[in-house]
Amino acid sequence: MNSVMNVFNFFIDAGPTVMLPVIITIIGLIFGLKITRAFKSGLTLGIGFAGIKLLLDFMTTNVGPAAKAMVDRTGVKLDALDVGWGSIAAVTWASPIIAILIFAILLVNIILLILKKTHTLDVDIWNYHHMAIVGVMVYFVTKNVFLGVGAAIVMAIITFKMSDWSQPLVEKFFGIPGVSLPTVSALSSLVIAWPLNWLLDRIPLFRKSKFTIKDAQKYLGFFGDSMIMGLVIGIAIGFLAGYDIKQVLQLGVSMSAVLVLIPKMTSLFMEGLMPISDAAQTWSQKKFKGRKLFIGLDAAVVVGNPDVITTALIIIPLTIAMALVLPGNRVLPFADLAVVPFRVAMVVALTNGNLLKNIVIGLVVTASLLWCGSATSPILTAIAKSVGINLGTSSMLVSSFAATSMIQSYLVFLAFSYKPLIGVPLLIILFGLCWYFFDNVKKVNAEME
Amino acid sequence: MKRILVACGNGIATSTVVATKIKEYLNEKNVQVEMTQTKLMEVPSKVQDYDLLITTGQFEGQTGGVPVVKGMPILTGIGAEETKEEVLNILTKA
Repeated sequence: MNSVMNVFNFFIDAGPTVMLPVIITIIGLIFGLKITRAFKSGLTLGIGFAGIKLLLDFMTTNVGPAAKAMVDRTGVKLDALDVGWGSIAAVTWASPIIAILIFAILLVNIILLILKKTHTLDVDIWNYHHMAIVGVMVYFVTKNVFLGVGAAIVMAIITFKMSDWSQPLVEKFFGIPGVSLPTVSALSSLVIAWPLNWLLDRIPLFRKSKFTIKDAQKYLGFFGDSMIMGLVIGIAIGFLAGYDIKQVLQLGVSMSAVLVLIPKMTSLFMEGLMPISDAAQTWSQKKFKGRKLFIGLDAAVVVGNPDVITTALIIIPLTIAMALVLPGNRVLPFADLAVVPFRVAMVVALTNGNLLKNIVIGLVVTASLLWCGSATSPILTAIAKSVGINLGTSSMLVSSFAATSMIQSYLVFLAFSYKPLIGVPLLIILFGLCWYFFDNVKKVNAEME
Repeated sequence: MKRILVACGNGIATSTVVATKIKEYLNEKNVQVEMTQTKLMEVPSKVQDYDLLITTGQFEGQTGGVPVVKGMPILTGIGAEETKEEVLNILTKA
């Protein structure tokens, strides 16, 4: 036993770039990949992590001092830099308990499918990081593996049920039958959007609104272009920091570089995990052959919808403005402005493209992202440091619009880490009521039985 | 060499799957291609430099005459072969 622990500790001490290839190789072997394929997957993830780490260093050494100067000069206290969901995903995959969490989530899906409590088959291992990070954070705070795994399991159950409940939206609004979207980054907004949309529908002004903005994409399109966004934000922060013109331009190009390079590094994770997801897909399709199921896909397949893009392009600049004025906000929006379409996609489907409602609900969602992000950024920062990410000497925190910045993840995290004896039962009761409402009152997907 | 632009929501997740599988298929057919991944929101500013656009989801923007193939079947596995053949046909005809 002792020697096992020694080996384990050796890999933890060696850091994620060494541990990731080993863990992913083992996961790959369990999924039945050949050793060479499994090892290459693992190594690809290790490389992805090294790339993200490099970028985070670059980001914090460039932006950190500028943001601090901006805070000192202007008094806007935005000291938690949004480093993007890709960086957070990298930190998640580097957690020592990630292998347990991945199998726990997969097992939850299989068990719920066998019990016919869900119709969503989710073997997109890549997207498990959204559910796993909550477990990672709970484990980090409580040092209790069971609470950590429990949190990931609850995240998974909520996610699969919410994908079922929102599947009619995917089919009717986006026109994709047989598919549901177990992507937390898109689903989480429904926690706010479902009740808020109901409320707004009581007000004729909102219900009947025909408000549209013509050519939004033509005039606001640059908000969707990472290259330009990075440059503009960098230049703006440079000016606010009181930099001279040369430094301002340097910061602009550096930040543009970050926004363009992060996705390239993150896609290495996707590439490395693909053979494992493929193996899981082949296995599960054999296992559930002949059964009518929703195939769980990444929400990336719906964010190209023109109504989603228009809403996102309006919400992005408003998010930046809101970050400056929202009381208690510490998050400096940056890398995740690129994924605002994911946060509003399900909202748009729910309101059936009612732009006025989309903007109102979208802004409430944004406020929740900023608040929950501010509240949990110190913990996220501590976890990032624990897996060897060097955040420089500046006192900047890291945050994002993913992880526990999202309301669904935040609530689960809160329940499991703060007084779990009260929080967990409360969460289960609340979720149980939703379950009863959607499955027995609204009878969503009743025809699947 | 033909150039293919593969677009999805964030230019990372589903586009990697589609790009990898299409590339493997085309290599088997001895067609050499260069794949670039991007976000859907950046398609209008990039697409004119490519021979083909593959999107994993709904896309209604202008492509200025560049042919578009829907890549969703590659993700679900339903109709994947037909989609791959469609890509091959477009590339070998033009």
